[in-house]
Amino acid sequence: MSSVANDSVGDLGRHVPALSSALRPHPLDELREWGGSPLVRGKRVLDLGCGDGRLALGVARFATRVEGIDPDPAAVAAAKRNARKAGVRNVRFTAGAAQHLP
Amino acid sequence: MVDALVEVHRVLAPGGILVDARPDSRVPAYAERRKPRGFQRYGVVNTSRLELANDRASDRAISLVVREGLFKRTRGGRFWHRVPFSDLAELRKYLWEHLRFVHRAEWVVGVATRKHHANDQFVIRRAVRYELLEALPSRI
Repeated sequence: MSSVANDSVGDLGRHVPALSSALRPHPLDELREWGGSPLVRGKRVLDLGCGDGRLALGVARFATRVEGIDPDPAAVAAAKRNARKAGVRNVRFTAGAAQHLP
Repeated sequence: MVDALVEVHRVLAPGGILVDARPDSRVPAYAERRKPRGFQRYGVVNTSRLELANDRASDRAISLVVREGLFKRTRGGRFWHRVPFSDLAELRKYLWEHLRFVHRAEWVVGVATRKHHANDQFVIRRAVRYELLEALPSRI
């Protein structure tokens, strides 16, 4: 599963990355709307526009592996910090663009 | 966005799912005051023109890749969530900084009411739309 969450130029996340995750729904609420944990359980997940890792870290408990990509290096650094803080090991965050995936 | 969708199709296995989730600009957001029970609508917050244009471009991009046979639409919907603010001033600051919305709400209550409850907790109730797209096998 991939999440093309938000790559529009005008979103607040681009300007105030530290605040962006507070403005989003809770990841598990979002996942429930999409169809629940079976959507990601045992799968590899790619989170495009991952920001500070809110969604990626939220679904990591269900997925085999989660890759988060965001064009903002500061957001990626925050995501890595959040992953360390949460002790989540199956997540990797990288700075990059959705147009050129690794 | 078409480039990004083509790239996602490249890395997804056939049958893999792409979730396109973004704020729903087809409906307005609402500024609401938190009451002991429930919420009181204080104003309507419209999406900025730039973001409306971006969202339409994204819609066109999705339609294009579906037409081109890269993805198949499977399911979609919309849900609402609330962004909390400690008071009305914080909500206004958010609107001023947030480029997705216009900078000022269209208030549906009078100035006196807004002043009276300025220190109450407020929320912006906004819609998020999502669509699940299944990657189809490449034709090449």
